[in-house]
Amino acid sequence: MGKYILKRLLLMIPTLLGVAVIIFFLMRVVPGDIVELRFAGESSFASKENLDKERVRLGLDQPLWRQFLAWITGIVRLDFGKSMWTGAPILEEIRLRFALSLQLAIMATLIAVLLAIPLGVIAALKQDTWVDYVVRIVSIAGLATPSFWLGIVFILGLLIVFKWLPPMVYTPLWVDPWQNLLQLIWPALAVGYRYSAVATRMTRSAMLEVLREDYIRTARAKGLWEKLILSRHALKNAMLPVLTVIALEFAFLMGGLVVTEQVFNLNGLGLLFVEAVAHRDYTLTQALVMLVAFVFIFVNFLVDLAYAWIDPRIRFR
Amino acid sequence: MATNRARRRGSETVRGLVVGVAGLMLAVLGGTGAGAQERPRYGGELVFVVPTEPASYDGHREGTFALVHPVAPIYNTLLRFDPTDRTGTRVVGDLAESWTIARDGRTYTFRLRRGVKFHDGSDLTSKDVKASYDKIIFPPSGVISFRKGQYTAVEAVEAPDAATVVFRLKWPSASLITALASPFNWIYRADILAKDVHWYETHVMGTGPFIFVEHVKGAYWAARKNPNYWDKGKPYLDGYRALVVKDANAQVAAVRAERAHIQFRGFTPSERDSLVQALGAKIAVQESPWDCVLLVGMNHEKKPWDDKRARRALTLALDRHQGSQALSRIAIVKSVGGVQVPGTPFAAPPEELEKLAGYSHDVAKSRAEARRLLTEAGVPEGFSFSLKNRNVPMPYEPIAVWLVDQWRQVGLQARHEFIESTKWEADLRNGEYEVAVDTQCSYAVDPDLDLYKFQSMGISHNNYGRYTDTVLDELYQKQSRALDPDERKKYVREFERRLLDEEAHYAYTLQWHRIIPHSAKVRGWTITPSHFVNNQLDTVWLAE
Repeated sequence: MGKYILKRLLLMIPTLLGVAVIIFFLMRVVPGDIVELRFAGESSFASKENLDKERVRLGLDQPLWRQFLAWITGIVRLDFGKSMWTGAPILEEIRLRFALSLQLAIMATLIAVLLAIPLGVIAALKQDTWVDYVVRIVSIAGLATPSFWLGIVFILGLLIVFKWLPPMVYTPLWVDPWQNLLQLIWPALAVGYRYSAVATRMTRSAMLEVLREDYIRTARAKGLWEKLILSRHALKNAMLPVLTVIALEFAFLMGGLVVTEQVFNLNGLGLLFVEAVAHRDYTLTQALVMLVAFVFIFVNFLVDLAYAWIDPRIRFR
Repeated sequence: MATNRARRRGSETVRGLVVGVAGLMLAVLGGTGAGAQERPRYGGELVFVVPTEPASYDGHREGTFALVHPVAPIYNTLLRFDPTDRTGTRVVGDLAESWTIARDGRTYTFRLRRGVKFHDGSDLTSKDVKASYDKIIFPPSGVISFRKGQYTAVEAVEAPDAATVVFRLKWPSASLITALASPFNWIYRADILAKDVHWYETHVMGTGPFIFVEHVKGAYWAARKNPNYWDKGKPYLDGYRALVVKDANAQVAAVRAERAHIQFRGFTPSERDSLVQALGAKIAVQESPWDCVLLVGMNHEKKPWDDKRARRALTLALDRHQGSQALSRIAIVKSVGGVQVPGTPFAAPPEELEKLAGYSHDVAKSRAEARRLLTEAGVPEGFSFSLKNRNVPMPYEPIAVWLVDQWRQVGLQARHEFIESTKWEADLRNGEYEVAVDTQCSYAVDPDLDLYKFQSMGISHNNYGRYTDTVLDELYQKQSRALDPDERKKYVREFERRLLDEEAHYAYTLQWHRIIPHSAKVRGWTITPSHFVNNQLDTVWLAE
């Protein structure tokens, strides 16, 4: 198992390096540059002299290879540098938003798991009955409903019916749990519902497949208690693809909730990402891409470990 | 039953509309007039929304309202725009108690207020004013000054004694007083600048009515009352909080749910109407022409726009008066104006505007003239060209749609290209366009600021028409140095006539229209044509 983990960890390095090369050069290909954007605002009096000064200050006058080398050696030392737009350390910019995004992702995942697994299992067990149909309708509706739209419905509903809006400023969980919950429960529900729809359908189909396996039939033939068959033999094996779906969705939530964050005015990583791209903030965009790539790779790594734990055949392959 | 319900719903709608319209009329007509007669109430925290955030905290290097709105109350400027003046043009002293101008117009002497302290307890002296203005006008190497170009007339800033500041000019300047009231020209501490000229890019510390508490990036700004403020009795508020809310719908929702009192930049007509309908008497609305306008930029280096007959045809085709009526219902545009905001000191009166190409009420005649000019210039019927536009919906999109329709009526086919802001900016700067929607926005209504853009390429940094017009440059200089307002007005009119009519270098569309619906509790704040001005909050108070 130790060798397997080491191999997986080493495989992360070339993947991250590939992402670094692609994002660095992709950002330079996109038209427009940060200096023009920075000084071309309203009431602009930006002179060429000012623009040139700023390019020198940001190191944009240097050849591309030198800029890349400086950036990549910084990453190796875990120094992501400073945001070109605000001048603040990038780790600080990310730290400010990370807690909110992580908490929202965890809450949405919890909601999704709590809904999806029981519903998926019940739907599989009651296949083609009214229960199955209801679960399928609810989950298809969830797939067809964008989270941000559901978020807008929540906001309008709360505003029109209760003349109330969730708090607009993030309060950390450890400072005031109630305020924190009041703010984050709505986006978590909006996101969690769509997320649960994906997982419900996956759970249902995986369960249906497993329930038709020979070893389940054997277990039943041996006279094992049905609940034991389901929990120990069927569900454990059906969880493999479900785990993958849940993990990938979780990784996506860490930086992909752009519109939902906008609708609920959440100061998360998704909005930071969009702003960084819009500002052509090369250093910040690159750091965020690396972070999201790392989260995806790390979550995949954990899923692979879980696979190996659940199914011992994998680690010996 | 159904009929009763329908009747009830109908009467509710009518009642809602009556309340809404009445509230709107009261608010628009009354503005803060009622508030001005009431006795200000102390206490409370003003909560307002800011749609975006600045890159740094240094007003001298930034040009965005996103910095002025949350940070201006921390600072003072030498002069300021009178917070009760709706035109946003009357200048009064802020740190300057009084001033004199030498007869030759080249020496300005300012007497500073006594007893002004920075928030760290140190006294403000003329050295601080000099150091701040030296940084703005003569920035040291490596320091960016966003508005340095506005002070080319200034030769030196002197501090002969602790309470006197003198500006010596190379030539007389009609706009120096306005430029010294710039809402960005915050007075910093000289000692701090001497130690680290970049300190204010990351720190906030001034002499203003409020003391900076914190800025949580992407979330909010907070400040508390300055108990030792030099203007005794002010400010009225205990503090303020500026919430960063980027989404326009979320901004409206914040005001509607009374989580925020106001957003100082502006809302659209439909957002105003929805707030008035939902909140009735709890909302007040202030409106003003806005010192921003969308222009039609024509690239003089591309045919047929090198021919002034073709350019004139584009402006003659526009029915601005009808456009004003239709577009003001759906977009943040309204007044028909020339190079100055209507109703301000140097603006053209309607009867003079009427004489400019494309401003006449006789649209049929203007369009016939446009067709004649196009034929003369050899532009065929159905001539097609691209109209590059920025992908910002409001008001760029409705204005462009209107332009395309107007030009179709003189036989021109404009292809609307709605492109990303950065690409649009780069294309305009590099001359990679035929016709484009361009923009002009100033922090204050003043001919020097509003006309700067239209000088020849090379003098102006954002003349995207790519023309050279020495007559226009000369007129700019003349108006800029004319100390007599009537004389200056004359030169501004000549400039306007040449820019918009004789040479038709650019075409103005409609003046933006600023709409601020805010909680009726907010008193002591007056709208101006600039969303950069009047944000010190020292006169603002909250009614019970």
